[in-house]
Amino acid sequence: MFAARTAKTIKLLLVIFMVVPVLTGCWDRLEIEERAVVLGISVDLEKPEAAKEESDVSHLRGAFPVPHQRLLRVAVQIALPGRIPLGPGEGGGGGGGGSEGTVWVIDVVGHTLDDALMNLQQQVSGRIFFGHLRVIVVSEAFARHGMQNLNDYLRRNPEVRRMAWMMISKGSALEVMKAAPELERVPSLYLMSTLDNAVRLGKFPVNYVGMFWSNTSKKGQEAFLPYVEIHKEQNIQVKGMAIFKNDNMVGSTMPFDIASYMVVKGINPAGYRGFVPIGSNPEQTVTIYATSRKSSIKASIRNGKPYFKVSVFTEINMEEKISEQFSVNSSEVLKEIEDNNRRALTKACENLIEKTQKAQSDIFGFGEYVRAKLPNYWNKKVITKEAWQKMYQDVDVEIAISTRMRRVGMKAK
Amino acid sequence: MKDERQITAIQSAAILVSTIIGVGVLALPLFAVRAGESGAPLVTVVSVLLAFVGLAVISLLGMRFPNKSITQYSEDIIGKWPGRIGSALIIAYFAVLSALTAREFGEVVITSVLTRTPLEVTVIVMLLLAALATRNSVTTFAYIHHFYFPLLLFPALLIVALSLKNAEGLNLQPMWGNVSWVRPEMVEGILTITALFQGSFIMTTVIPAMRRPEKALTASAWAMLIAGGLYVTIVAATVGVFGSEEIKNLLWPTLELAKGTSLPANVLERLDAAFLAVWVTAVFTTLFSSYFFTIKEASKLFRLGDHKMFSFFLLPAVYVMAMLPRSILHMYEIIENFGRIGLIFTIAYPLMLWLIALVRRKRGSQ
Amino acid sequence: MLRRPRKPRKSASSNVQDHSLDQALEQTQDKLLGKELAQTEHFFTNLLGINNDFVIRRFHVFGRHPAVMCYYANMVDQALINKDILKPFMYVPSHLEGKDFGLEQLPEVLLNDAIYHSACKLERSIEALVNAILQGNTIVIVDGLEEAFLIDTRNIDKRSIDTPATEQVIRGPREGFIELLGTNISLLRYRLQTSDLRIRTMEIGRRTKSKVAVCYMEGITNPDLVAEVDKRLSKIDIDAVLDSGYLEQFIEDNHYSPFPQVQYMERPDKVAANLLEGRVAIMVDGSPMALVVPTVFNQFYQTVEDFTERFLLMSALRLARLIALMFSLVFPSLYVAIISFNPELIPTEFAVAVAGGRAGVPFPAIIEVLVIEISMEVLREATIRLPQQVGGALSIVGVLVVGQAAVSAGFASPITVVIIALTTIGSFATPAYNAALALRLLRFPLIIMAGIFGLYGVMIGLIVIANHILSLKSFGVPYMSPLVPGNFEGMKDTVIRAPFTWMRKRPSFLFPQDRTRLSSQTANDQAASKGSPLNPLKFKEERKDTEE
Repeated sequence: MFAARTAKTIKLLLVIFMVVPVLTGCWDRLEIEERAVVLGISVDLEKPEAAKEESDVSHLRGAFPVPHQRLLRVAVQIALPGRIPLGPGEGGGGGGGGSEGTVWVIDVVGHTLDDALMNLQQQVSGRIFFGHLRVIVVSEAFARHGMQNLNDYLRRNPEVRRMAWMMISKGSALEVMKAAPELERVPSLYLMSTLDNAVRLGKFPVNYVGMFWSNTSKKGQEAFLPYVEIHKEQNIQVKGMAIFKNDNMVGSTMPFDIASYMVVKGINPAGYRGFVPIGSNPEQTVTIYATSRKSSIKASIRNGKPYFKVSVFTEINMEEKISEQFSVNSSEVLKEIEDNNRRALTKACENLIEKTQKAQSDIFGFGEYVRAKLPNYWNKKVITKEAWQKMYQDVDVEIAISTRMRRVGMKAK
Repeated sequence: MKDERQITAIQSAAILVSTIIGVGVLALPLFAVRAGESGAPLVTVVSVLLAFVGLAVISLLGMRFPNKSITQYSEDIIGKWPGRIGSALIIAYFAVLSALTAREFGEVVITSVLTRTPLEVTVIVMLLLAALATRNSVTTFAYIHHFYFPLLLFPALLIVALSLKNAEGLNLQPMWGNVSWVRPEMVEGILTITALFQGSFIMTTVIPAMRRPEKALTASAWAMLIAGGLYVTIVAATVGVFGSEEIKNLLWPTLELAKGTSLPANVLERLDAAFLAVWVTAVFTTLFSSYFFTIKEASKLFRLGDHKMFSFFLLPAVYVMAMLPRSILHMYEIIENFGRIGLIFTIAYPLMLWLIALVRRKRGSQ
Repeated sequence: MLRRPRKPRKSASSNVQDHSLDQALEQTQDKLLGKELAQTEHFFTNLLGINNDFVIRRFHVFGRHPAVMCYYANMVDQALINKDILKPFMYVPSHLEGKDFGLEQLPEVLLNDAIYHSACKLERSIEALVNAILQGNTIVIVDGLEEAFLIDTRNIDKRSIDTPATEQVIRGPREGFIELLGTNISLLRYRLQTSDLRIRTMEIGRRTKSKVAVCYMEGITNPDLVAEVDKRLSKIDIDAVLDSGYLEQFIEDNHYSPFPQVQYMERPDKVAANLLEGRVAIMVDGSPMALVVPTVFNQFYQTVEDFTERFLLMSALRLARLIALMFSLVFPSLYVAIISFNPELIPTEFAVAVAGGRAGVPFPAIIEVLVIEISMEVLREATIRLPQQVGGALSIVGVLVVGQAAVSAGFASPITVVIIALTTIGSFATPAYNAALALRLLRFPLIIMAGIFGLYGVMIGLIVIANHILSLKSFGVPYMSPLVPGNFEGMKDTVIRAPFTWMRKRPSFLFPQDRTRLSSQTANDQAASKGSPLNPLKFKEERKDTEE
């Protein structure tokens, strides 16, 4: 049907057609050393006077539509290529131990996160790359102000991974970002390993930023984040949980409340220690730590309100005895310890639940139980997230803990 | 003609599975959750059953006319010109489907991986790849699918299995969702998901080349079991890990699932790039099938000897169609609408053909 | 050195295969010997006399009839000529002393009573006589006779049978083919001492007139395959066949593919094994490589030890070889894709360290990888040409020192050198040189695709290669058999090597006529436990008895 010449021309055009995508170049090629690998980000709230610092990158000064967005100070921690050697400190410039200058912390101001990052890109030579972003530190002030903008930007960016850690810092997030303790070579990785180790030691439940977002979206649950504080040795301490209602932080807890949370949810490994007095003499106290937990939550409706029964089973071991005035050498003593522990733990859990109820923040996810197990009730009475937040204040939770004390260490008394 | 009947039943099942698993697997949980919230897995099961109805009808038709493909036997059943019009419509539909597949592929790639590459390039490269591959015979077509089938299935299962450790059973309850099943969104969702299985129409081209056409129905059943099972598992895994509300925020939940998975001991961290690599193969097999169908049936419609001429001839038309949607959201709207309309072609039309064939007692030569 | 075949001549017989006529013999086509000795002698002198090694020896047969003996001095066994040809021709055999016979009876007498060389026959056609001389035989022309005697005296200096240079093996025979077809055939015959082994010879090549032997096992090999091989070989009309590789290029299905569809081997045991599976072997005089058709992709990573050593360990090694093969194809492109496009795939500390390693390098990763790859290829080619002692040292020196120097000079990053070195070593692990070559060179397009599109480009490249392989056929057998189309029996010999008792049938993709390899009796006997003659317990009892 085609003349031979037409066929030939078509084939030629086709070859050109095929070569064109190749000739126009590689668009996405960006060498790894040309990227500014961002390991950590911190977001603080800034006073309006700091707007002077701002450069007119994305808008003219003063022309930004600022409803109730306040200024942000965003800092990034960029890894310096070559200063983070693999192996025992060879190669590259520095040598000689320590994390001297393995990262570069630089901060800018902006109205929104993206605005600030644009300002930042003006000042940094490589293209900012979030593929290795491991920690996001947010100051408490900013968290209380509202994190929608931050969440939205991070969700849209395809480079951000959901396994990063987000944390709320008491005080300035910038200080946290600048902290460079000597334990690790790279500060962001130090932050990350603090939290990863906390998870492994049973001191904090697994809560990557992906899970934080999932929890925020759920209708019957609210999210929480680690609440950290920086200490004088430039080390970070996990000071509890920051609890949220929608995208705003509404409160924080004590570190021990994390244990209560993990008890209610039955999260393992269990890592908290507790003091348990035997009898009324304060000298007769032992320290125990929990080794494993199991919990089940049952939801039902009583008096037209949701009613939850939490049954927990924990196993504990004894770690230390305060004084030699008494001995721990029989199973009755152990039983007494168990009872006391049970009472203390129940009280702690109830405290935490009350606290969250006051803040209208259901971090335990009781609402999800209602939605899942009692769908008829949910579909009629609750339906939306706001309704559950209101209803959560009045629900009753009964906690039944049973403890078993297994081991006492290597000492017989 | 003798060496054209080389495809075994296993190969046809492989063809079907690798065709079905394609570009839609990324957005699938989103469609399911929009329809049924935490009941998304159940919604998917319903869609699978509906798709199987369509596929069963096609297999039965093919078994009735073991030497002909749909362009040929539709003329036998309902007459020359109605049959030709029907076939022409189907061929045009699959050309559009190929274009949309290539476009969706391009969109995913430039949004999540290659952010600065122009869309045209990704689409052209994929279309060229498919066009080049369609120049082979139907036996090589079967070999190619047979080869890629385990390469698709096992990584997908692996990623799903690895992600399950982050899943919470509570997210999957209640099993039928917190929303009523008689909403229009539910019907839309079910139909959209069923439309994802439309690639199985390739069976009409495969059956005439099968060694034992009488096994077509079993092959289809197995294929639907595997592909449908995989889809349901993926939906269940994503809903279990993220929760149905979060999924509504994600454009490509399956991709996010792969992003959050890591191999034990953190050997490789973000598996999404690896997952995308596997997914490229899946898209290629799907596009290959739909484009091959278009070309082969077109060559049969025009009574031409072989189909190679069409492979590059139709390429510019398909490319232009792929470039038509204005934005990614527009593209998804078109995909959803077209997919649902297409169900008329892929389920209703064969059903009608089959019923008429039964009534008129038409049968093909054995 | 392949020259284009000449245009076919315009004579009547030009449609048929016309291998035999050289330029100088154009006039003598179909001519026969005349009775005049002087004329014949004159003809031969004109034709071949200009060659220094051509000998014409006049003598008298039985003392009476003048005769002439012609041969090429360097190609014959001189002692043989002296003892077994000249002497019997000159002296009347003892039992015929005194008898008188005329000229007509001379040929019979000579043939039946006098000459005691085993390979002697009569020949009339001048063409055949000339060819005989060219092949190293001797002709004796007797005055008055229309036929000449053609005696096989070919003896060409050959090298001894040695370890095959290209296929080293730890456990297995160490004999390799040499250039002479006769020896090669003997090596094959003594391994397959059955009358089913058929070897047919033909001559291909107008000026080389090389003997080509086609070997197959009657009763196993599918006769259609043999017919097809014959057909393809008979269509070849070229000037010279200097090596079996020349034939390979003509009988292949797809000459433009980088993947070989014909396998070559230098080991007779491998050829015998392939013949027993149902393949056909082609051997060419002058080449130590035998061709074996049809070929599938599987054969490229199998070695002889796979079958002579324990199956579990060799299965693991085969897996390692397969991984090395895949590595040699994709490793550099994966590196380029990950470093330039997707560094989020590697762990964070490693990513930053790599960035550090690359910080001083002026080129982008893809240029660096391409430059070092090309230098590696050049180095490899160089080491092949060097003599043994220098070659070994240079490869180590080349890789380590030059690589290290390149890193110190800031020209390359250390990781690149490691990757390229691993890739090169991986490609050496592939036993078949031609396949290793194909994969080695396919690396380059993949690297370029990786450099343009990243991981996605690598996948596209791999898909193109896979599609191409899947569409290849070797004599009708799909290239990826037995993987595609699925043949369970054949799969027992792909990634793993199943024990012999599992592989009772021949692979069916060759459609052999006799499918059984191992009788089920043997398989069952293997399962039953074997006797224990040297059981210590048994001897302990006996010793106790003797001591008592």
